Formats: sequence, structure tokens, C-alpha cells
Amino acid sequence: MPVPSSGLTFSSDDKTATVQVSNAPIIDQPRWPAMDAESTPAFLDFKLVFKATDEPVKYENAVQQYRFEGFKASAQLEATIRVPSIDFTFKTDPLEASKCDFAVMGNEVNGKYYEAAQGPL
Amino acid sequence: MGRKQNQISNLISNLELDRRRWLKLGVTSAVAASLPGMLLRAQAAPQACSAPIPQKHEPSNGGSCPYPIPWLDKNGNHNQIPMPNVELCSIYHFKGKLARCNGFHGMGTDNHGNRLAWGTPSTDYSYMAGEYWAARQVHQAVFAHT
Repeated sequence: MPVPSSGLTFSSDDKTATVQVSNAPIIDQPRWPAMDAESTPAFLDFKLVFKATDEPVKYENAVQQYRFEGFKASAQLEATIRVPSIDFTFKTDPLEASKCDFAVMGNEVNGKYYEAAQGPL
Repeated sequence: MGRKQNQISNLISNLELDRRRWLKLGVTSAVAASLPGMLLRAQAAPQACSAPIPQKHEPSNGGSCPYPIPWLDKNGNHNQIPMPNVELCSIYHFKGKLARCNGFHGMGTDNHGNRLAWGTPSTDYSYMAGEYWAARQVHQAVFAHT
């Protein structure tokens, strides 16, 4: 989903990134991935915070033409979902209470930019 | 009227049961991706970036929507769990800042006061901020994947 530039902010050292989105239109689709799964309009607010560690990572595949260079990271999320038509809302616990198993942050080049971008990103 | 109200009550009751069942099973994908018994497939509203129909025989260069990763599902439905040594970006012909994470787990509360778990191994989020190539020109944008 497109995010206004104000929705993504970085700390002064670029080691922390915060994504904040309000009222993103989503769908509530209980029977997905059934072909005839009905959907209901819903809305999502979320705040997502990445914090980079000092452990570098580099993932590159010349055949698939992508290169990612960055750092392992932590990520935490808090969110609220609203499904107005059935008067349902769900709010996660505060950001600090969430955990995730894998996170990285850095820079990527792929496709037509892959060959052109040699050296550190 | 009474019968219709009863049907709606049953439906809501079933939905609530489904929600709890799915949440307890922990099959819910992160907040955006899914919720108890109801997969909340995050999806942006239709965008005005589809290819315009050229007028007066002008060339057609396609739309300004970002180009999907060619070997992955355009709709991004569980196409590839983020992990080391896989393409983490959702946009092809992209250069810029990228972060991606998955495997969220946490707790939350619904509007009836029920405490529910959320998150699955496929609950993933990302941001992509930078330059992408579409419609034969450069675009600057910020996107999130939920």
C-alpha cells in the first residue's frame, strides 16, 4: 500500500525506522483463499518499529538480479483493526509487548538497477 | 422479521466463535494479514496507476503501478516467507531503503473484552522507500507491505 512520506521516519543515525499508517483500507475475508470467499471492508491502523543491530547481512542473487545489504534488526508492531459492518474491533497490546522472529533493514537494488549499482549500496 | 434477526444473531455468534477458534489456533496472520477465523487480507484500495488508454495514437507505456517481482505471486499471498537469501522486496526495478520482518506474535483485546493471541509465522510487514521504474520513467514513493 502507498504510504505518505510522513508515514515513514528514521532516527538521526538511520538505525531506527518507524512506519505509521492510519485507516488503511483492508478486507476481512474469513474463507480466503477459497475462490468464492466473500470479503468485508475493514480498516487498519498500525505502528511498526524496526531497530537495526550491528550484525551486517548481504543477500544477493545475480540470476534473479537483486542485492540487499543491511543489518539484522528487531521489529515490533501495534495495531488496531476495525470491521464496522459487524461492529468488531481488535487492538493489540502496546508495541513493546510484540515480538517477531526475523527482521532486517537496509538497502536494496533489483531489476534494471541491479547491474548499474556496483559497490556498497 | 424475527427469523431474520435470529439468522443474523446466529451469523454473528458463528463469526465470534470462528474468531476465537482461529485466534486460539494461532493461525492468524499478523494484524493486517489475518485475524481469527477471518483472514484480514491487507490490500490497498484500487489505485489510479493502471495503464491509461492513449488518445490520438500516442504511445502506450503502461501504468505507473510498481512492477511485481516476476517469479512471485503478484498478489503477494504467502508467496515467499521473508528469510535470509530470498528476494525481500515486493517491487521489481527498485532501488532504495527496505526493511522486512515476519513471525510476529503478541496479544490483544477485542471490543468485547476478549483477550486474543495474534500472529503467525507468515505475519510479515515491510517498507520500501525509494525509486522504482514503471511506465518507462522513474517514480519516487514509499510503500508498506502488510
